[in-house]
Amino acid sequence: MTDIIRTRLLGKGYGAADTVSGVNMRVKRGEIYGFLGPNGAGKSTVMKMLLGLVKPTGGEIELFGERLHDGSIEHLKRIGHMIETPVFYEKLTAEQNLELHAEYMGYYNKRSIREALDLVQLLGVEGKPVKQFSLGMKQRLGIARAISTRPELLLLDEPINGLDPEGIQVMRNLFRRLRDEWGVALLISSHLLSEIEQVADTIGVIQGGRLIREVSMDAVRESTAAYVEIVTTDSVHAAFVLSERLGIANFKQVGERTIRIYDSKLTQEQLSKALIVNEVPIHSINRRHHTLEDYFFDMIKGGEGHAASHQAGA
Amino acid sequence: MLHLIKLELKKGRFSAYVWGALLAYALIAAFMMAIYFTEGTASEEPAFRNYAEMLRGITTIVCATFVVYAAVLLAKLVVNEFRDKTISLLFAYPVSRKKIILAKLSMVFCWTFANVVLANAVVGGLLIAINARLGHLSDPLTARILYEHGIFVLMQAFGAAGTCLLPLVLGLRKKSVATTVASSILIVIIVCSNNGGFSLSNVVAVPVSLGLLGILGTYMSFRNIDRVDVG
Repeated sequence: MTDIIRTRLLGKGYGAADTVSGVNMRVKRGEIYGFLGPNGAGKSTVMKMLLGLVKPTGGEIELFGERLHDGSIEHLKRIGHMIETPVFYEKLTAEQNLELHAEYMGYYNKRSIREALDLVQLLGVEGKPVKQFSLGMKQRLGIARAISTRPELLLLDEPINGLDPEGIQVMRNLFRRLRDEWGVALLISSHLLSEIEQVADTIGVIQGGRLIREVSMDAVRESTAAYVEIVTTDSVHAAFVLSERLGIANFKQVGERTIRIYDSKLTQEQLSKALIVNEVPIHSINRRHHTLEDYFFDMIKGGEGHAASHQAGA
Repeated sequence: MLHLIKLELKKGRFSAYVWGALLAYALIAAFMMAIYFTEGTASEEPAFRNYAEMLRGITTIVCATFVVYAAVLLAKLVVNEFRDKTISLLFAYPVSRKKIILAKLSMVFCWTFANVVLANAVVGGLLIAINARLGHLSDPLTARILYEHGIFVLMQAFGAAGTCLLPLVLGLRKKSVATTVASSILIVIIVCSNNGGFSLSNVVAVPVSLGLLGILGTYMSFRNIDRVDVG
């Protein structure tokens, strides 16, 4: 059994409109699953359904290989979570909040609490009441609480919200460490790809309550290869030169004046020289990445029902 | 269950509530003594003419006080968890939701019951002791009076402990502390107000049926808690 989370046609409808529908999701043991989608796409709702806070109106959920039903609670011992803005008992100190959490979870271990506080760099302020904490500190405390009971599955909803750049770095390293050293499966949601592309092993894109696609990051990286972009006033001539004189087949015209060349053996210098020799007027020439944003933007547009307007590669 | 109650106690500083209760005892005692001394035998229409009336007067005030007091506790223990969304934390624990709620409610129920009984004993005992010296009330204090009053107090305590759940049912709808406390005050005013020596609460059936209603209403509002969406 390698699947930690498995959902089949999971759906939630509030009244007439479905906020989530037909979600088939698979999160494997020991992987970081980036759950990507714009605000309001249904990320939090899916996570709440996994926690049993929101009851699905359709489909089923399997966690740790067992199907959930009304009132099943045993699996919750194995899950750490932080959904939306973390809530605390504000008058209690950070440490008391974590102790209380541990008691309810049935996992009381003073050392793991201190360890968790240390991992999110909150040691030293554990004696302060939470109401004195900034948003970023609460965010980190929320993560500490989630990991303090040594879960096998972590559900983190926008965990990087409100953190400073240094804090973001700390969190990324922490997520990788949890995956590599503890073998935790992490489901991390975000509305920004840049927040999760560096840590995720798999990305699931959700849009309008539907899981549009589930892809491994390796596959994504392959299809986002680098290219050289030429801007020219005479793209017809340029295309002719590229294919007939230089023998390049893998290029594509984007817009009226722009041509993208993929997988070229030629360097940028050789290319520009060859084009100039062949009297192609060049406005600019640049090496570019077809960015991940482009990739997912295409995907989301596809998910909305439009045909992808431009496909990478020719 | 006891463990859950212990955890609830950890969440709030309940020592403050114990002090609050003691203060309430003192105030009730002072109030009753004031009535006893000012109205004494000199008054033409004394507030109470015999032991039974005096003891019942104490019970009415005690019940009124601790019903409102319980509403405050319930607001803190239950309504606040919903309002502050900490309930989404609680309900994601590997503990049955019903047990969590039941722990909270039984705490308040027992607390109210115990306080009503204790306050009656303390304030009643005090006034009996004072009367033993001053003798404003001249009827004999028989074991029968005490026994009957004891039963009366137990019924009233049960009634109060159940009645205090009614404001919770109302307050939960709006997730409002103010609604909870205000409705408890309203209930107390209706039930415990004294109209020319008569108050609804003295008819044992009234507080007891209110208590049962409170328990029933609470049961109804939490019956489906396992299937409710939170947060």
